[in-house]
Amino acid sequence: MRRTFLLFLLFILCFVSTSTALAEVQVRLRVIGASNDGQTIDPSLKDIYKELGSLFSFTSYRLFRDENLTLSPNQPVSISTLRRRLEVTLISLHKDIAELRIRVVREEKEILNTQVRLSPGRTVLIGGGPRQREGIIIYALYARF
Amino acid sequence: MKGSCSAVSKLLEKYFDQEVTDEERSLVEAHLLDCHACQDVLRSVEKLRNLVRAPVEEAVQKEDFQWVWQKIERGIRLEERPTFWETLQSWLQIPPLFQRKVWIPAVATITIILLITIPLLFKKTPSYPSLSVVEYVESQTHNVMVYESENTKVTVIWLFEEPEKETPSS
Repeated sequence: MRRTFLLFLLFILCFVSTSTALAEVQVRLRVIGASNDGQTIDPSLKDIYKELGSLFSFTSYRLFRDENLTLSPNQPVSISTLRRRLEVTLISLHKDIAELRIRVVREEKEILNTQVRLSPGRTVLIGGGPRQREGIIIYALYARF
Repeated sequence: MKGSCSAVSKLLEKYFDQEVTDEERSLVEAHLLDCHACQDVLRSVEKLRNLVRAPVEEAVQKEDFQWVWQKIERGIRLEERPTFWETLQSWLQIPPLFQRKVWIPAVATITIILLITIPLLFKKTPSYPSLSVVEYVESQTHNVMVYESENTKVTVIWLFEEPEKETPSS
């Protein structure tokens, strides 16, 4: 009887952990430095260069970081790069739409607070702000469902 | 002489088999005291019975009654076989394991978990008719522009910096 009860508890734990795992989403974050110094295009940005070229007038794009973030509901994940900190929080996940809150903090000062919906194939670019030595920082985010 | 011979002779076999009532026995015994004819009849009945009893008892002792018992047992088994309704009732009976009270909290826990998780798993996706990517955006330090392109499926959130004012080319 005790063994049956333990198996039952194990089953419940597996079920709960599976349900929890379903509430996670993977977000790919790329930190790009854009400038007009030279004409260097990072080979890692080939897939996104077409979009970048059609939207911005920069001549050089460099990839600083490429991260895969695993987001759980209401658990912020921070990435600090080039004196800026990007904080991403999963607000909710509905089938193939992830609602994210994104904060950009520079020198302990919040310069952007936004909430976006990421769907399959959708890319969100967050950029601009104070120009840095490396150029303008652009964050490229898209979710993997 | 008590009683007539014709009346007593009818009772003689019953008397011999001890099947008469007390009153009949008294009548027969009183009559036999005086009636030699009836005494003879009783004796002949006794002789006849003794003649028959001996071979019958001998035959019974020799006879093998196993087939009789087999038949009786078969009959008992047929009588003991449960009816369809009794069989159905036995199938519907809760097994003894489930009768233990330990299953009550287990079933209650499963029910609660299912009630909580099923609505979450089958929650309908809210519809976003316009499917605006940016729900809100705010910046206390910069002017912000939002540009959404449905062709390329790219959304740009751009922070302007005074006095340079970088802008997207399109």
